[in-house]
Parts: sequence; C-alpha cells; structure tokens
Amino acid sequence: MLGDRGPNVAIEGFDGPLELLLELVEEKKLDILTVRLGDLADAYLVRVRALPALPADEVASFLALASRLVLLKARSLLPALAPLAEEDEGESEEELRQRLMEYAIVRERAGVLGERLRSGERAFHREGGTPVDLPPRGGEVSALAAAWGRVLALATRQREEEMVAPGERYSVEERTNEIEAIVGERGEITFTELLGPAPTLGWAVVTFISLLDLYRRIVIDLEQNALFTDIVIRKKERPIVTEPTE
Amino acid sequence: MRGNIVNQIEAILFVAEKPVSRGEIAKLVGATPRQVDGALAELAQSYSETGLRLAHEGDDWQIVTAPEQASVVAAYLGADRLRVSPASLETLAVIAYRQPVTRAEVEAIRGVNCDQTIYTLMQRRLIEERGRREAPGRPILYGTTWEFLECFGLSSLDELPRALTPEGAIPGGETAPAGDATPT
Repeated sequence: MLGDRGPNVAIEGFDGPLELLLELVEEKKLDILTVRLGDLADAYLVRVRALPALPADEVASFLALASRLVLLKARSLLPALAPLAEEDEGESEEELRQRLMEYAIVRERAGVLGERLRSGERAFHREGGTPVDLPPRGGEVSALAAAWGRVLALATRQREEEMVAPGERYSVEERTNEIEAIVGERGEITFTELLGPAPTLGWAVVTFISLLDLYRRIVIDLEQNALFTDIVIRKKERPIVTEPTE
Repeated sequence: MRGNIVNQIEAILFVAEKPVSRGEIAKLVGATPRQVDGALAELAQSYSETGLRLAHEGDDWQIVTAPEQASVVAAYLGADRLRVSPASLETLAVIAYRQPVTRAEVEAIRGVNCDQTIYTLMQRRLIEERGRREAPGRPILYGTTWEFLECFGLSSLDELPRALTPEGAIPGGETAPAGDATPT
C-alpha cells in the first residue's frame, strides 16, 4: 500500500470538503453555531465547480458534502419535505454542524502547534552517543607507575639504540617464523622472555605484531592470568590450520 | 536546600541517554514512588530559572534543554528546523489531543484520507503505534512520541496548548473515546 501513496492532494489550498465549507463560513463571517448550512450550498457548489480535475475519490468526497448541503437547502425551502428526513439515514444538519465545529477546533489547534513549530522553541535531549566503555576494574596506581617506568626506560634505550645502530630493521615475517620455532620447541614462553633483557621499541612492536599474527593463524594461545601480569604464549595443541600442499 | 533524593535523581537523569521510568528511579534511589514524585516536582521547580527543563511522557522522565535556548543548542548541534505541512499538522493535532486514536477516527474528524499524513508523521517519529483498539478489524492506535514533545517544546502532554475555543463546544468531545472505530 505504501507504494501508491502519491503526494497529498491539496486543491487550491483546500485539503478536503470540510475545510472548504469552513472557509466559506469564515469568509462570510458567519457564526458556525447558527448558520443555516443549506444556505451555503450554492457558494459551495461554485467552489467545487472551480476545482481543477481531481482523482475520482477526491471529487466524490467533495460532491458528497455538496449533495448534503443541497438537500439541507431544499428542506429549508420546502418544509413539506421535512418528514422525509426521518427516512434519510444521512447526516442531519446538526450532525454536520457538529463535525464542522469539531474540525474547526482541530484546525485551530493545528494552527497553534504550527505557530509553536515556527517559533523554533523546541527542546533537545542528551544525544545517545557511543556507549561508554568502562575500563576493567582492579586497575592499580602502582601498576600504572611501573608501566610508565618501563615505557620511559624503553624510550631511553630507543634513543641510545638509534645513536648506536640507526636504521636497524626488523621483519615481521622473520620474527614470526622465529617465534613459531621457539614456541614449537619449548611449548611455552612469556612475552617478557621473548622481548629479551633490553628490547628497543621497534623490536617490541614487531614481536607484538608477530604474536597477533600467530594468534590469528591459530598457531599459539595467549593467556594473561591477571591485569598487568606477563602474557604467556603457548603452542596451540592441534592447529586447525590446513597444511599448505606442496 | 534540596533533599538528597532530588540530587540523586538529577544525577541519574543527567547521565541517562534515554528517558528513565519513575519505577526505575524509585528502585535506584530506594524511595517510594510517591517520594520520587515529590522529588521530581522539586527538581522540575528548581530548573525553572535555568537552561534545562524536566520533561516527562507518562511515567518516563528526562532532562532536556529549555525551549528558550533552542536557537543556540540547534546551532551547536547543527539541527535543522522541522517543517510540517498544514495537512500533517491537522492530523498531528487530532492525534495529540485525542490519543490514542485510530486512523479512521482521524479521518472522520478531518473529513479526508489521512494515509499520507500519518505515514509522514510516523517517518518523522512525531507519532508512533500504540497497540490496537479492541474493535472489529483491531485498528492500529496512534499516539505522540518524545520527539513530538521536544519538537514543540512541551515538557509533557499536560502542556499542550488548550484550545482557545471552549472545550464544551463539542459535547463529550475531548474526554469520551472517539466513537466506534471503522474497521480498516
């Protein structure tokens, strides 16, 4: 059903038959409570005739109201017709008046709402941003201080190394093979052991990336028993890696 | 001096990214719903001179910015002004004042087909489905949303501008359920 929703048809500013009728009442400055709706039949028909070509069901709704108005007019002109009204199951003048009044209130409220909207005075709420990722509990200030100490030491050594042996290059591929061999032989080793006594920053980074790669290839298992403790690297018992065919 | 419950509630609503229900607040601060009501009223009162407001829809509460500060907040957020056609506004007015209401009821009042306007309002999240009326055809009921309250700068539905026309003009108009729903 969504597919055939065309743009809402608005006819010369009239959204529907009730609105057209209400416009007539207001234009003529009539009191909605007392106006004889039948008196509006002619003016209404003139307006309907002036409407541009409309889809059939749109026209039908305007014509239905027009015929109702004509009937009301006929009854007021020929009171003798009145008894027939009891047979008529359509809307009485009072029912139509009630609908018109109800619609008038809706339009008034829509106007008030529209005014509020135009004033731009709206509220905003806190936008639901990215969910807050709380750090794991149990962090210790001393552990942080120790880690910072190690970073400083590493940075100092890095500078010394650069002075001694600038341009030293480590290949992730070589290091990966190296670690795989060590783990294959020993079965288990810690990250600190792999780094050695005085690692440079480059060495540490390459070692770490190699470990990630090995882990990804399911060659090794990684384990850390508590926050900030050493990482244990184990040979994966039965690697699911398919052996490369010769 | 504000009570501790008031401060606790303010703190919760400050970090909340979505409305918090009265029951949840009561559980969190360990108070009775009645105490929470009192505290919320006190909090709302204390915001009257600030850039914030306490808004609620039913039992759900949220801190929002004051409508008077909309222009600076909109500028900061880069928010566009909402535009709603007169036809959609009429449909919205019927739904806002009569909710929950079916499409047939909206159409009976406006005298025109409201498929399109309801669809547009749904897309803009100004209205939402509110279950179904237990009547033939079980037609969908519609009501307004948080977005509606925010876009119109209302703290709650109680703040809907009451019509300039006296309510009594329509016998039983606002309070009575809007008649029989025509099956759709």
